[in-house]
Amino acid sequence: MKDKSKFNSSMALLFRTHPEFGALVALVLIFVVFCFTATRFLSFESLAGILTVASELGIVAAGITFLMITGEFDLSVGSTFGVSAMTLAITANAGIPLGIGFFLALAAAFFIGLVNGIITVKYKIPSFITTLGTMMLWRGILLAITGGFAVRYWGTSSFLRGLNGHFLGEFRTSTIWFFVVIFVVNTILSKTPYGNSTYATGGNKEAARVLGISVDKVKITNFVICAMLAGLAGCIQFARFNSVDPLRGTGMELEAIAAVVVGGTLMSGGYGNLIGTLFGVLLMGMVRSGLIMSGAPAYWYQAFIGIILILAVVTNTKLKRWALK
Amino acid sequence: MKSTLKSRIALMFILVCLTAFLFGAIVEAETFNFYVVSHGGPGDPFWGAVMNGTKDAAAALTKGTDDTVNATYCGPAKYSVEELVNMLNSAIATKPDGIAVTITDPAALDAPLRKAIAAGIPVIAINVPDPRPEAERIPYLFYVGGDEYLSGVKAAKRILEVRKPKHAFVAIHEIGHVGLELRAKGFIEVMAANGVSAEKVATYLDPTQAIEILRGYFAKHPETDAIFTVGSIPCDYVIQFLKEEKLEGKVLHGAFDVSEEVVHSIKEGGTLFTISQQQYLQGYLPIEFLYLLNKYKFLPANDILTGPGFIDASNVKSVEELVMQGYW
Repeated sequence: MKDKSKFNSSMALLFRTHPEFGALVALVLIFVVFCFTATRFLSFESLAGILTVASELGIVAAGITFLMITGEFDLSVGSTFGVSAMTLAITANAGIPLGIGFFLALAAAFFIGLVNGIITVKYKIPSFITTLGTMMLWRGILLAITGGFAVRYWGTSSFLRGLNGHFLGEFRTSTIWFFVVIFVVNTILSKTPYGNSTYATGGNKEAARVLGISVDKVKITNFVICAMLAGLAGCIQFARFNSVDPLRGTGMELEAIAAVVVGGTLMSGGYGNLIGTLFGVLLMGMVRSGLIMSGAPAYWYQAFIGIILILAVVTNTKLKRWALK
Repeated sequence: MKSTLKSRIALMFILVCLTAFLFGAIVEAETFNFYVVSHGGPGDPFWGAVMNGTKDAAAALTKGTDDTVNATYCGPAKYSVEELVNMLNSAIATKPDGIAVTITDPAALDAPLRKAIAAGIPVIAINVPDPRPEAERIPYLFYVGGDEYLSGVKAAKRILEVRKPKHAFVAIHEIGHVGLELRAKGFIEVMAANGVSAEKVATYLDPTQAIEILRGYFAKHPETDAIFTVGSIPCDYVIQFLKEEKLEGKVLHGAFDVSEEVVHSIKEGGTLFTISQQQYLQGYLPIEFLYLLNKYKFLPANDILTGPGFIDASNVKSVEELVMQGYW
């Protein structure tokens, strides 16, 4: 009896300190199922494929995690993704060196994030609404500027290969950037005073203010970080395809939010981490590849993701309540 | 004598004035407002050419006649039947002099279009016709566009002329779009009739995910050696996939619609052909016809087929420049 309660309390501690635990369990379960049902699932190509999809989505999701822990949302990441990729494409075609184009693309993302942050914080508008508006605004501008046509850059360069080229056979360098982003953002969140401020801002805004944290500044900074990571992901995708159509990134915001939520981060803020998001995006990538390799029609992908999302949220909420009891 | 000459000149002057006055009364300058409502918005290069056609027709008519022709193009940025219906209703509410519309979802468009036709607004179907038998069909005037099913059939035949594939893959990006589904159906049926298995798979819009779907599919079905892409968005990803996997030429790729990417791939030998509906005409001709109908009551006797036309190694060079200018 005593052993059981000891086990329970240690499990509770585990869930309290590791929001990613639920996602890890789901990831392992689904992995085992696909090992049996999917052809050539356990191969380097398959792993590389899952990581490739997870990397671009993951860089966007890392930014969303950061912002969601602050208690805010960004629906405009898909549009930011498109705007940055388009900026890089247009500047490359204009003969501007790719390094400078890349800098300008990130600057565009910085600006979008800053606008999102300032409108949300200064005018006290829910970020859901602000970023819904900017999502439409930037997508509309993309469509208007390009007239609907894709922009193609025919040149090649080592810069683009470095952003998203091959290494070790089927693996792509985007995976390296993804892990670098996860490492850096995770370190900021868990090991620096700024990370503490982020958690405090999302957990209890008033208490954070009393502690002397500039809540508004933290929020605006995190909007900027989120947008810049979306911009980085856009540039990374452009580096592979050398072309951008004005719809690039459409729907990405919802997939990224789904991955973050599956990873255990709470939409209300103050709770969550990057490792959970890592598991979340791997899960999304794995479900897509696994379903196709199992011979299930690709039409089913969205339905499966929907079920996983609901199950994950229900489980995470229950576990958290239990752990905090 | 002198006075007769004078009176003759005066008479001629009066006659000229009278003719000019009468002629002016007959061809009095008018303003016509037309709408092109489509399921495809500015996000797809295909519709960029249609939009150019609409714009050019209105400009040419306004410049070449005394009348003013306004043509407005509307279409959702992302495929959505609801939005198409909403846009159509808004267009009808302005009581225009004519509408050209894509019948992507006959059930959803039936009621609003019948109402518009009953109210006396001329309606032309473009790009996708109502596939139902004539008695049940929405009573639009005629159709300007390609023949979707025939396009799929011809695509399959072209591939079979080169060689008989072991297994064929059909990439579709807008699931449930009648036109795309018909292209896929025509292709799959001809393949099946020739003993080739063919499967339709949704690849969606994101290129990275689309390529992993293809990679996963090829892992499951390594015998796949023919791909048919039903639109320009999946086409670009398939070209990239074939390049990355070094399958260009080994896997026969037949495409639909024209983009810079596919033209380049045809030149390089990665893509066998692409089918064009010559969709610029689907934006241009309805405006011309709606004008001629409103002004002079002209009506063509039949549907006007703008496609399928083929672009392959034999004619790719002559079309290339026009693709860049947004005509193809």
